[in-house]
Amino acid sequence: MINNWVRIKSGYGPSVEEIYKDRIGSYAKFYKMDPLSRLGFVASELLLDAEGSRDREWGETRGVVLMNATSSLADDRNYQRTIVGDDAFPSPSLFVYTLPNVVTGEIAIRNRYYGETNFFVLPGADPEQMSKVIEMSFCDDKLQSLLTGWIDCEDEEHYDALMFIANRTVCGRRAELAEEIAALFEKEIKY
Amino acid sequence: MEELILNLKKQIIEVLNLEEIKPEDIDENAPLFGEGLALDSIDALELIVLMEKNYGIKIKDPNEGKEIFKSVRVMAEYIEQHRTK
Amino acid sequence: MVVKIADNILSPLGVTTAENYQALKSGKSALRLHDCRGAVTQPFYASIIDEDKLRVGESYTKFERMCIQSVETALAQTDLDAASDRVLFILSTTKGNVHRIGTEESPLLGDSAKVVAGYFGNTVPPMVVSNACISGVCAQIAAMRALELGLYDYVVVVGADVQSDFIITGFQSLKALSDEACKPFDAHRKGLNLGEAAATIIYTKSDKAPEARWNMVCGAVRNDANHISGPSRTGEGSWLVLRDVMRHLDIDELAFVNAHGTATLYNDEMESIAISRAGLADIPVNSLKGYYGHTMGAAGIVETLISMNAVDDNTVLATRNYEQLGVSHALQVSNRNGSTEKKAFIKLISGFGGCNAAAGFRRIDK
Repeated sequence: MINNWVRIKSGYGPSVEEIYKDRIGSYAKFYKMDPLSRLGFVASELLLDAEGSRDREWGETRGVVLMNATSSLADDRNYQRTIVGDDAFPSPSLFVYTLPNVVTGEIAIRNRYYGETNFFVLPGADPEQMSKVIEMSFCDDKLQSLLTGWIDCEDEEHYDALMFIANRTVCGRRAELAEEIAALFEKEIKY
Repeated sequence: MEELILNLKKQIIEVLNLEEIKPEDIDENAPLFGEGLALDSIDALELIVLMEKNYGIKIKDPNEGKEIFKSVRVMAEYIEQHRTK
Repeated sequence: MVVKIADNILSPLGVTTAENYQALKSGKSALRLHDCRGAVTQPFYASIIDEDKLRVGESYTKFERMCIQSVETALAQTDLDAASDRVLFILSTTKGNVHRIGTEESPLLGDSAKVVAGYFGNTVPPMVVSNACISGVCAQIAAMRALELGLYDYVVVVGADVQSDFIITGFQSLKALSDEACKPFDAHRKGLNLGEAAATIIYTKSDKAPEARWNMVCGAVRNDANHISGPSRTGEGSWLVLRDVMRHLDIDELAFVNAHGTATLYNDEMESIAISRAGLADIPVNSLKGYYGHTMGAAGIVETLISMNAVDDNTVLATRNYEQLGVSHALQVSNRNGSTEKKAFIKLISGFGGCNAAAGFRRIDK
């Protein structure tokens, strides 16, 4: 059911910034993003290149629903550092990224997706629970395809993204979907 | 003044994460917002922090910032007059 | 059909939904001026829960105590076995135990959700919806879908946020806070106030609860694809969700639209555009932020429950502190309690990340 997918993981291959420079570039906003959004942005760009449907106007028919275990922890820590101490200056640009769903917004903005965007924090990367979240998303009858998957970024050295495109064929086939997700987690890195 | 303008450009590049921009790329007389650097409302708030942190200037109302952040030169002139550090 | 079988609101205005509704109806607000504290260097207007009034054990954090007490109060209205593997817990929150960052203890939302579900003996892996300010509506939509798909028989949705120094300093840095009680949709509105609450709503399908009185009819979530922190100037996402829920509702059955109405300049303006674009400009509109402030992860649930109680009471609650229309599209915003015979309403909400949600609810009269 899953034809297009991307896996980016710390400790394997180039860093997120290196992938951005090599394969994407020319989106200055990348440098304003927090580590989670950078990871999600880069993964989504590679995924959409692989899908090869950049020109299409998706409108409300494509959504972005992502999941992880650590929410926006990397940026939460960065923001927290700006509020402690006697000479503290809380940073508005760090604060706006202290919500995990902002990465879904970044992807929607970049690609003009008006469909559902949502973020689920789960106890762990459980393919069964992930497949439930994905099938639940397709209860929106306007949704034709979904940028989804696992995108966890504890800090700039510890991250793991498995992002893929799901379509309505997953409906009613939750067990199969869970198996496919589990298999993708076992495969090598692909970006 | 010219030194302050150069320092200000470096500080703006740093706090706004303008990774691919060098100080000489910023025209101190050109509008900071609008075209060019593609800055937004969050960048304006971050500039308010910069003014307080580096120059001891408190800007309470973001609307005040609109006047002060017209260009790097206007910003520098404002800093000259109002700085407390 | 997905129906509500139990609920609770825990806030500075009361520890039951009924207490909260009565407080609002009599015009009470929980908003107070609070002094600087810790990392917060400017005074702030907010609605804060006094921790001494919480009943549940002190070994838990304030956030967990609020959630547990709220769920416990709701569960007591049913004979539901919360430990059953047919019961899913969905937690709605933006920042949970964020105060633990920099300490040895876990700030992870999934861990908090397990603590809350675990308190009731439930071992089903919980879900946390963390979709900024719209989490509370998204969590209810997730519950509705989980039930419709038959994944679970009951879903306990609990939403909460605690106003930590982290959140308050952040909103201050965004210059988004009003230095007085917030004035939704008003010409003199200056920004939002923050608030604390926990709220619970338990859903099931009507075949399991023939006596239930409230049906969650529909829900939609859309993105503006415009800016991560600024509302769309055209109200795009908000209009899209309203248009979507109106496929399932009849305009003549609507008592009101309960808006997000945070009292920031741009949010309220955006909502006026969206509501008007959706053809709902003649329907009464209210915002509850003048009573509670913005309770973040709890907001979508608190405001849904208060709206249900208002319809039960044939009432359209006043938008507290609203005096003079200050948005570009004429809306039917009222500053006094009105009456209604209608039986349905829409809960509308928007958040950072460009997300917008709406849900439709209808009272079942037997």
